[in-house]
Amino acid sequence: MMLLEHHAKELLAAAGVAVPHGVLVTAADDGETALTLPPPFMAKAQVPVGGRGKAGGILKVKTATDSAPLIAKILGMTIRNHPVRSCRLEALVDYVAEAYFSLAFDANEGSIKILVAAEGGVEIESEEMRAKLLRASAVPDPVATTAALETLIPALPVALQWPIRELGSRLIPLFFEKEALLIEINPLFITRNGWVAGDAKVLTDDNALPRQAEMRGLIERFPDLYPEAALKLAQGFDFVQLDPQGDIGLVTTGAGLSMQLVDEIVQRGHRPFNFCDIRTGGFKGDPSRLIQVLKWVASGPNVRSVLMNFFAGSTNLAELVPLILQALEAVPELRQPITLRMTGNGLDAARKILEGSGNPIHVETDLERAIDRALAAAGSAAHG
Amino acid sequence: MVEPFIKADVPVLVQGATGRSGRSQTAQMVAYGTNIVAGVSRRDDPEAKLPLFRTCTEAVKATGARASVAFVPPLDVLPAILEAIDAGIELIVTVAEGMPVHDALKARAATREAGMRWVGASTPGLAIPGSLKMGFLPNVSLAPGSLGVMSKSGTLSYEVCYRLVERGFGQTLWVGVGGDAVKGVRFADLVPVFAADPATQGIVVVGEIGGNEEEELAAALLASGCTKPVFALLAGRSALEGVTMGHAGALIQENVGTIETKTTALRAAGAEVSQTIKDLVEAVTATLGHTL
Repeated sequence: MMLLEHHAKELLAAAGVAVPHGVLVTAADDGETALTLPPPFMAKAQVPVGGRGKAGGILKVKTATDSAPLIAKILGMTIRNHPVRSCRLEALVDYVAEAYFSLAFDANEGSIKILVAAEGGVEIESEEMRAKLLRASAVPDPVATTAALETLIPALPVALQWPIRELGSRLIPLFFEKEALLIEINPLFITRNGWVAGDAKVLTDDNALPRQAEMRGLIERFPDLYPEAALKLAQGFDFVQLDPQGDIGLVTTGAGLSMQLVDEIVQRGHRPFNFCDIRTGGFKGDPSRLIQVLKWVASGPNVRSVLMNFFAGSTNLAELVPLILQALEAVPELRQPITLRMTGNGLDAARKILEGSGNPIHVETDLERAIDRALAAAGSAAHG
Repeated sequence: MVEPFIKADVPVLVQGATGRSGRSQTAQMVAYGTNIVAGVSRRDDPEAKLPLFRTCTEAVKATGARASVAFVPPLDVLPAILEAIDAGIELIVTVAEGMPVHDALKARAATREAGMRWVGASTPGLAIPGSLKMGFLPNVSLAPGSLGVMSKSGTLSYEVCYRLVERGFGQTLWVGVGGDAVKGVRFADLVPVFAADPATQGIVVVGEIGGNEEEELAAALLASGCTKPVFALLAGRSALEGVTMGHAGALIQENVGTIETKTTALRAAGAEVSQTIKDLVEAVTATLGHTL
C-alpha cells in the first residue's frame, strides 16, 4: 500500500526524521484545522501517485482569505483517476540545497537498493537524473545496508555527507522494522542548520499486515482514505472502483483473469465500473462477500449490465451457485441483466440447481460469448 | 525433456500435509500421478495415507524425496523453505497467498545460495501434464502437448490453457511463477529450460503489469538465441496506478512495469504479444496448427 504523504511523514517523524510541520484536512473537516497553520503554507493533494504538482494538486496559500477556497479546490480534484480525499497543509521550508535518497528492493537480485543524489526535487526517472544517482546494494539486513550506504558517502559533496548519513541511520532501521518496500525522500531539503524531508513516498507490504500492528491501525483509522486496503484487511478480497460512471459491473475471481477482463471490456469501448477478485476459495459456504460486491455493483449509477465469471479449477460450481442465488435474493436492488459465465468442476450439477431455482440468470460456458452478451445487454458502448 | 528443471517421476514430499488444504490437495496430486512419497507435519494424522515425518530432513532420509510442495500459512513459508534447504531438497513449490516481501527477500537469498529452485512465493504450482503436478493447476487446463507455459496469474493462465487445450494444444511443462514482487523462479530462468527441450515447440507467457520480469524475459530470449515462437498475453492495461490490483507485484509506479514497456521489449525479442485471450489462442493456432 502506498501511504499518503501525510501518513508517510508522520511515520518518518516518529522515527526521528525531520519533516515540515503539517496537518491533514478532509472534506468532512469544519475548517478549524486549517486555522492552526498561519499562511503562507503549502496545500498538497494527498493521492497515492506522483505528478501531483503538474496536475495542479500542490498550491501555495499566501493569505488567510485564500485558504478555504484553495483547499476546497484541491479536495474537488481527481488526479490520475484518484479522487483527492484529503489535503496536507504544510509549513514552508527555507532551504539552500536539495538532495535525493531512497531505499527499495531489487526483485531480481533479492537485495536492498540505495540511491542517493546531490540533487532533488525532479523526476527520478529522467535520463539526466539517472546519470547523477549514486547506487549501492546490500543483502537484506540493516547492518549490511548501513555499510553499503557508507560506501556512497565520500562521493557526496561535504555539505551533504552528514545529512545523508543521519537520514540513513533513521530510515534504514525503519525500512526493516516496518517492512517497507520503498522509502523515497525527494526532495530532501538541506537548510542552513540542518535538513528536512520535503516529500516522502513510503510503500508498505500488505502481506506483512498480520504482523505490522501500526500499519493495521492506520488503515483501521482511515478506511475512507485507503478503501482498497481497508477492504482487503477487513474482508480478505479485492474490489477497486475503476470508473464511477462505468456501465459494466464485474463479479469475478482471480486477479489476473479479472484484470484481463477489464482490459478486454475497455478495448471494446465499454467502461468497467470495477475490478474485483472475490476469491471464491474464501467463501466457505457464506454468501456475504457476494452480497457485498453485488450491493456495490448495484450502486453504480450507470451500471447497465453485470458480468459474473467463475472458472472453477479447484472450487465446485455446485457449491457456488446456491451462494450466488442467496446473494441475488439479498440484493433485490440489483435489477441489471446478469450474465453468468461458469465452467469447470460441477458444471452440470450447478446448471440443474439454477434451472430448479427459476432464476432467469443467463448462463454461458464460453467466456467470449459471455463478454459479447454482457456488453450487448449494456447497449451501445459508453462514451465520455 | 524438461528434466534439468524437474523430472516427471521425482519423489516429492508435502510440507503441511495434515492441514485442511494440504490434505485435500495431496490426495489430488497423488490421484494425478505425482510420486508423492512423504508428508511433513508437526501434528499426527491418524487418517494420513502417506508416511508422516516431523521434519523434512527425516522425510528425506527415509524416503529419498528430492522435491517439496509446501501447503503452509503465509507467515510459515520462509521457515518451511529454510527447513527444505537444510534437508537438501532441490526444488520447492510454495502456494500460500500473502508471503511478506521481506520474507521473500530472505528466501530468495537463501535458496540461491543453496542452489535450490524455488517456485513461489505464491503460485498454483507447476505440472508436467499426465505425469506430475505440484500444486493445484486445474486438470481441465492440463494436457500433454508441445507448449512451454510460464504464468504470473493463476486464473488467467487456467483460462488461456483451457482454451488452448480445447484447440488441441497441451503443455510440456507449465510453471506458475506467481504474481509476487519478489519470488524464486522468474520468467527469464525458464528460457533455457524451454529452449533446450526438444518437445517444446512454442512458449506461452501469461504476464501482467508491474515489476520488470517481462522485460528481463525479453533480454533472456534475445541472449539465448532461442528461435521457438513465443506468445505473450499481458494483463492490466487498464489498471489504476498506485493501487494494488489483486497481485502484490501488479502495482505500477510511474513509468516502471507498464504494458507499453513490456510489450515493446517482448516484441523486440521476437515475441507475439496479444491483447486478448482470443488473439493469443488464434496466434498459437496459426503458428503451430500444422504440428497437431
